[in-house]
Amino acid sequence: MSDTTHGVGGLTFDASKRVWPNELNVFGALVLIIIVFEMLGALLMGQSFLFDSQGRFGSIFNEQRLYIIVLQVSIVGIIAIGVTQVIITGGIDLSSGSIVGATAMIAMSFAQVAEVNGQPNPKAIFLEQGWVDLPVIVPVLVGLACGVTAGLVNGLLIAYTRIPPFIATLGMMVTARGIAKWWSKGQPISFPTQEFATIGNGFGGWMPVFIFVGLAILFQLILKYTVYGKHTYAIGSNEDAARMSGINVYRHKVLVYAIAGMLAALAALVLSSKNLTAQAGMGVMYELDAIAMAVIGGVSLAGGRGSIVGTVIGALIFGVIISGFTFLRLDAYYQEMVKGAIIVGAVVLDQWRQRYRALHA
Amino acid sequence: MKKLLMGAALSALMCASAAAETVGVSMALFDDNFLTVLRNGIQEQADGMDNVDVQIEDAQNDVARQLDQINNFIASGVDAIIVNPVDTSATEAMSNAASTAGVPLVYVNRQPINVDSLPDDQAFVASNEIESGTLAAFEGCKLLRAAGKAGGAKIYVLMGELSNQAAVQRTKDFHDVIGMDMCSFIEIIDEQTANWSRDEAQDLMTNWLSSGNEFDAVFSNNDEMAIGAIQAMKAGNVSMEDVIVTGVDATQDALVAMQAGDLDVTVFQDAHGQGGGALDAALKLARGEEVDQKVYIPFQLVTPANVGDFLAKN
Repeated sequence: MSDTTHGVGGLTFDASKRVWPNELNVFGALVLIIIVFEMLGALLMGQSFLFDSQGRFGSIFNEQRLYIIVLQVSIVGIIAIGVTQVIITGGIDLSSGSIVGATAMIAMSFAQVAEVNGQPNPKAIFLEQGWVDLPVIVPVLVGLACGVTAGLVNGLLIAYTRIPPFIATLGMMVTARGIAKWWSKGQPISFPTQEFATIGNGFGGWMPVFIFVGLAILFQLILKYTVYGKHTYAIGSNEDAARMSGINVYRHKVLVYAIAGMLAALAALVLSSKNLTAQAGMGVMYELDAIAMAVIGGVSLAGGRGSIVGTVIGALIFGVIISGFTFLRLDAYYQEMVKGAIIVGAVVLDQWRQRYRALHA
Repeated sequence: MKKLLMGAALSALMCASAAAETVGVSMALFDDNFLTVLRNGIQEQADGMDNVDVQIEDAQNDVARQLDQINNFIASGVDAIIVNPVDTSATEAMSNAASTAGVPLVYVNRQPINVDSLPDDQAFVASNEIESGTLAAFEGCKLLRAAGKAGGAKIYVLMGELSNQAAVQRTKDFHDVIGMDMCSFIEIIDEQTANWSRDEAQDLMTNWLSSGNEFDAVFSNNDEMAIGAIQAMKAGNVSMEDVIVTGVDATQDALVAMQAGDLDVTVFQDAHGQGGGALDAALKLARGEEVDQKVYIPFQLVTPANVGDFLAKN
């Protein structure tokens, strides 16, 4: 590994003491969880978790299960890509779930068809204005603009009023949820155009996965190889040092939060398109799932440490757990309890491993 | 002369007030689709009657504001009060205030916690929640029989939020229907929560599909989750003609899905009828007539045969 793979400065980043990259540990945890589900599946259900034990697909794997494991975390995963960058700078973003709600409502109202089953669209918001059957680019641009605006407000508040990111984004979380409810007075907005539906349903339903994986690769490369990435890690490792070495810390933070807002908006477009509806309650708790994915993936809440690859593996752990529980038909009442324990357990293990490493290096 | 005039004026006033009955209405929330239909039901019923005035106020989801509104109604001498409670566990104080002042009070749509100990001049008008899940599941059971599955049918159950009374009740009703002799051929493969949400139901259904179990029906606690399951099954190339899907609510989206042949059963809660029923009960109480303390407005079953009747309703 090269010296500066994971940021500049700080004891944690002494590459000589690294035995293997942190992401491998997280990947090991993923494999471990899969093995547990495979064993329980063989014992309790008489079928394999990931492999095609019933010969339904004519393939080694149960392709449908692999698909849903990734699909069900793709949308929150897109948010987590932005949240990861925010956390690496030492910040936090609690507003992403609400930005999803507000953006979904606003964008969807520009994506509606004029007629449903030969009747005027009962849910059309802008029917009178004639803003129906618009080209798909309109809702996409409107949506992304909403997200970037919300992110800019977050970033400007944090950079220039010096209030903690927790408070600034908490404010945005409440405000954006209010906007989501106010936009159509709580009414769901449904029946989008065929082109808009493609965003979440294209390629036989694989579109959200492609968008998620594509963005993950893009931002992993950006964080690793560009000035933007190096500055992001530098600010998270030591903000004062970063400032003194000439980085425009404020401007960079605004940029990072704006990107996080844009990614939340993109998630909203995929989500509302996939569901063919937008509802004011969409995205509730997504911010916490996104943060949990990042943290399980080895992103440090203290800043300066972590990677998109780790977050993607963290997201996959989430997906495997959800699918595994359904596979085992675990009682719905137990699922959340076990999920919470796994989140905390994963981070505790990571901490122990690092302390052990520090002592025995 | 002066006295005579005043007496005439007074009696005129009293006649007027005796002729025009005023009912104060405190709604939990104005900007809610379902409650708006209910509110319109009260208003339209009043408009169709001679000499009935309704004064409708918005409690904006604030318990304290609602109690203030009730006290204001009492102070201004209304003949009866209708309350759509913000918080069903905060109704004791409202019942007491109205009962002390001798003003009849009717709760609508949300069941007050003191429903079994209401004073004589108070009543509760709503739909009986037990009906909705039972109607949907029983119709689903009949459709499965009609499809020749009476020898054994396997179903998945989608539950709403586990902490929600309606979700718990509807799931219990599903179980009760399946416990009946006529429907005991139905076996639940698995039941999980999708938190009322279309998105979660889509993912959950795809997870179920990935296990590859044969199934004949999906019974859902509400329409949104039923639609999510439908979307997942369509993406998974399951023929919607072979699967019975039931929901509850009769939302616009659900009715469209039913017209498209995807959703088989849903249940309509008559908000408009509840509003009218509440006003009727309030006026009867004000006139000292006998009223059942629990008035239930029936749920209505919606199937492809009558879906057209409901398109403009909710």
